[in-house]
Amino acid sequence: MIELVNVSKSYPNGIDVLFNISLNIGKEEFVFLVGSSGAGKTTLLKLLYRDETPTSGKVIVDRVNVAELDSSQVPYLRRNIGVVFQDYKLLPKRTVFENVAFALRVTGAPRSTIRRKVMQALELVGMLRRANAFPEELSGGEKQRACIARAIVNNPPILLADEPTGNLDPTTSWDIIQLLDKINKRNTTVMMATHNKSIVDDMKRRVVAIENGRIVRDQLLGGYNV
Amino acid sequence: MFSNIEFFLFEAFRSFQRGALMCFVAIGTITVSLVIFGLFLLLVINLGNIIGSVSSKIDLAAYVEKDLSLESAGALQLELSRIPGVVKVDFISRTEAWKKFQEEYGDTLALDEIIAGNPLPHTFNIKVRTPEILPMVAKRISEMDNIDEVRYSGQFIEQVRSLIDAVRIGGAALVVLISFATLLIVVNTIRLTVLARETDIYIMKLVGATNTFVKWPFIIEGVILGILGGLSSFLILKFSYDAIIARIAVALPFVPLVADQRLLALVYLVMVLGGTALGMIGAYISVSKVLKAEG
Repeated sequence: MIELVNVSKSYPNGIDVLFNISLNIGKEEFVFLVGSSGAGKTTLLKLLYRDETPTSGKVIVDRVNVAELDSSQVPYLRRNIGVVFQDYKLLPKRTVFENVAFALRVTGAPRSTIRRKVMQALELVGMLRRANAFPEELSGGEKQRACIARAIVNNPPILLADEPTGNLDPTTSWDIIQLLDKINKRNTTVMMATHNKSIVDDMKRRVVAIENGRIVRDQLLGGYNV
Repeated sequence: MFSNIEFFLFEAFRSFQRGALMCFVAIGTITVSLVIFGLFLLLVINLGNIIGSVSSKIDLAAYVEKDLSLESAGALQLELSRIPGVVKVDFISRTEAWKKFQEEYGDTLALDEIIAGNPLPHTFNIKVRTPEILPMVAKRISEMDNIDEVRYSGQFIEQVRSLIDAVRIGGAALVVLISFATLLIVVNTIRLTVLARETDIYIMKLVGATNTFVKWPFIIEGVILGILGGLSSFLILKFSYDAIIARIAVALPFVPLVADQRLLALVYLVMVLGGTALGMIGAYISVSKVLKAEG
C-alpha cells in the first residue's frame, strides 16, 4: 500500500531530515512510527500526502509515485488519505457536522450523500450527539474524534495520524487508539506517529523507530523500546 | 455541479457575516478608489468638452471677389459645402455685411463721408468639423475660383490643437495610471480578507480540495465586494457631480459642462463594471498567491 524507496529529504535551509529511508507497509497494517521529537516522523508522514516532496527517492502510495505527482493531481491523492493531527486542524467557525462534511463537499458529492456519510462517520467515532457543536465547545478528545471523522468520511484506504494523542489524557488517548484500531479493522491502513510508550507497548503492533532521520528498528509485534 | 455553485455562494456570503469589518474596509477602499478614478474621468471628459466647444466656435471667413453676382455666389456656396470636413456654410451678402458694419460703427464714424458706396465683398462663414483640418480646408478654398481671400486665426488654432493633444495624451496616461493604482489598492485590500483565512485554505487543500474549488468562493466574494464598492462610488459621484453642475450652471453659465445623461451613464457603468472587475481580479490574484505559497 505504502512503499518508500531510498527516500532522503533536506529542507532548503540545509537541514537534513531523512536519510535513505526504505519502508514497505502492506494493506490493512497498523504501524506505529516512534522516535524522539525532530527525528523526522512528521516529515515522513507529510511525504505521503504530498505536503512535502522528497529530495530523492520514491514515495509510492497505492501504486503511484507521489513524489513525481503533478500538483493538479494532489487533491485526488489526498482524498484517498485521511490525516489526523495533534492540533486537530478543525475549522473554528464551523460545526462538527460542517467540518466533517467539508471533506466530502470538496469532492462535489451530492448533498444527500454528504449527509448520510457524515452521519455514519460521526456515529462511528461516537460524535453524533455533538454534530451541531462548534470546536471551541468540545473537549480535546471530542475534537480528536471530530478530526478522525473528517479523515475517514471519504472511506480512504489509508489513515495517517500524527501524534493524535499528544494533547490528550491517558484515558482519552486510549479511547482514540481503540477508535483507530476499529478503523484499521475496517480494511484501512493506519500509520500513527507517536511518543506514547504505554500505548505502543500495549497494542503490540508493527513498530518503526526513527532516530536522526534513519530507520533504526522495524519490528512486528514490537514495543516502544527494544 | 449545481450543489457546488450553491456551496460557493453560501461560503461567499458566510464569509461576509464572519469578516464584516474586513469587508466593510474592502468596500470602502474600492469606493474611494473608484470615486477618485471617476472624478478624474469626468474632469478629462469635461476638459475635452470645453476645448471642443471653444474650437467649434472658430470658423473660416472666405471673401469672394467683389464683382461676383449673387447667383454665382449661390453656386459657390454649394461648392464650398461639398468640401470634406466642412459642416456649415453661411452666406453673408455684401449688403447685409455693410448694414451690420454701419449699425456697429455708424454712430462713431461718419462713414458716408469717408467711403462712397459699399466697399465690402460677399462673405462666407464656414464651420469645419475639427480645428485640426482648418489650415487644409483654408488652403483648398483659397485656391478656388472667385475667392479673393480666406482668413482664420491660425495661431490660436495651433494652440488649441496642441492643448487638445496634451489633454488627450495626458488624460489617457493618467487614466491608465489611476486604474493601475486602483487595482493595486483593491488587490491588497482583498488580499487581507484572503490572508485572514489562510488556515481555512490550508485545511481545504488538506482534505483534497482542488485549487479551482478553493478559489470560487473567494472570487464570488471579490465580485460582490466589487459590485457594492462600484455601486456606492456611483451614488457618491452621481450626487456630487449633479450638485457641481447645478452650481456651475448658475455661477459660470458660459462653461459648457457635460450633462449628457447617456455619456454620464456610460461613465457610471464603467465605474460599476470596473469595481466588479477589480474585485474579481483582486480576489483571483490574492487567492492564487496564497495557493502558490501552500504548494
